[in-house]
Amino acid sequence: MNDVNETLTPLRIIPNDEPVASTKTQISIRRLQFFYGQVHALRDVNLDIRANAVTSIIGPSGCGKSTLLRAINRIYEIYPDQRAEGEITIEGENVLDRRHSLSELRRKVGMVFQRPTPFASSVRNNVAFALSYYEKLSKSEINDRVEDALRQAALWEEVKDKLHHSALSLSGGQQQRLCIARTIAVRPEILLLDEATSALDPISTAKIEELIHELRERFTIVIVTHNMQQAARVSQRTAFFHLGELIEFGKTSEIFTNPREQRTRDYITGRYG
Amino acid sequence: MVVRRRIADAIAFLFASAATVFGLFWLFWILWTTLRQGLSALKWGLFTQMTPPPGSDGGLLNAFYGSAVMILLAVIIGAPVGVAAGTYLAEHGRYSRLAKLVGFLNDVLLSAPSIVIGLFIYVLVVKPAGHFSGFAGALALALILLPVVVRTSDEALRLVPDEMREAAFALGIPRWKVTAQILYKAATTAILTGILLAVARIAGETAPLLFTSLNNQFWSSSLNAPLANVPVVIFQYAMSPYEAWHVLAWAGAFVLTAFVLGLNILVRLLARRGQIR
Repeated sequence: MNDVNETLTPLRIIPNDEPVASTKTQISIRRLQFFYGQVHALRDVNLDIRANAVTSIIGPSGCGKSTLLRAINRIYEIYPDQRAEGEITIEGENVLDRRHSLSELRRKVGMVFQRPTPFASSVRNNVAFALSYYEKLSKSEINDRVEDALRQAALWEEVKDKLHHSALSLSGGQQQRLCIARTIAVRPEILLLDEATSALDPISTAKIEELIHELRERFTIVIVTHNMQQAARVSQRTAFFHLGELIEFGKTSEIFTNPREQRTRDYITGRYG
Repeated sequence: MVVRRRIADAIAFLFASAATVFGLFWLFWILWTTLRQGLSALKWGLFTQMTPPPGSDGGLLNAFYGSAVMILLAVIIGAPVGVAAGTYLAEHGRYSRLAKLVGFLNDVLLSAPSIVIGLFIYVLVVKPAGHFSGFAGALALALILLPVVVRTSDEALRLVPDEMREAAFALGIPRWKVTAQILYKAATTAILTGILLAVARIAGETAPLLFTSLNNQFWSSSLNAPLANVPVVIFQYAMSPYEAWHVLAWAGAFVLTAFVLGLNILVRLLARRGQIR
């Protein structure tokens, strides 16, 4: 474990080394604690996530990386035994404050999950559903917005002739892009992707990674991934978590080529995880 | 060792097959007997003529009509309440102690003897009104249908994966809308299946109707008067000394059994379609 002479095994990946354009902080996490009942899943996490960049969260199973995402949009509140303490500040407001409107928060912070979760209705209605809840739009305006969202999710060409077919008839990769379209249709500012490609085949994964690349200009994206190559390919900044603690956070290129912490080094060289 | 395993396997297979055959045997025997005995009454007149007085020809039209009306009314009264209560158990109250208690009480109602429910409606409705009525019958059937629908729609909604809920809530949509427009849609088949099973359950109920709608030899479409129905007609005609009535009772029994069997097959088909999704 502590072999000092250990050199980094090359990952055969080219870290995404583009300069990070924006330095504006979009999500500021301070002293975040998270509990599943008695289990203390996140310990004292402090993290600033930049606007219009992709931040990836990596770490071994059970390290709390999904938990972090689930705290940002407070989706954990569905389950009464889960709770978060500390502060998550978005645009100057602590969104963990119970007085903060959930609906407003979740409109601003969209989330896509590991497994595609299309609703049992048509492709169009999947996208239009949340849209028509938030905005009073005419039918043609909705259709425009649906098309726009599907285009942004790189799905339009594939589904334009089957907008009224069941979303369940799409392939897994298409379903996942539909979930992305559904999420960006309400024009959020932040996208949380929780292992959004881990249930997909390599081609669909590549499509979604390409999509993340494009969406980065318009959204602040936080992805949780088990796949370190993916983190290196799509993100500008990477946070490494271990046992509920943030171990290291920095530029993706630095995390993958020259990590400061031994535990990060061990993880990215495949020592555990 | 191999031989012993094979023998054990053969014995288990024989036993399981025998048990299956045993179950099917009775079902087919019942169908066959009711068909054979009621065959001479199984003609068009069964569905166009009223229940006859002793010694003359007739059918079961008024009884079929009465049963249909009462079952329909029971579904109209019981199914919405049942689905709503099931929604409470599966969604709103999923983690609450009150919901656990309600679920338990519902199970008690589920296994309550139907004659007790008949008596209950008798005291509550028939006695104050001073007469039997189709409405009272429908109410009794609704009370029997209710807990079945509560339980099945509770389970139907629990079968919708949590991921679907999370995905919908993550869009910021309020709970009532998530339930009404996403979860119900995903659980439609299973909820419908539950209602059909509940209909199959109440279609043959006799005891509660004896106390509530009783019977009516003549055509009546009033819900405020005794209403003919298949189970009670079967009961009365089978107990009578008249041969023609016996045959009608058998025919009614056959139609009833075939109806319940048909419903169960429909449920199976629906469930299979639901799985493919």
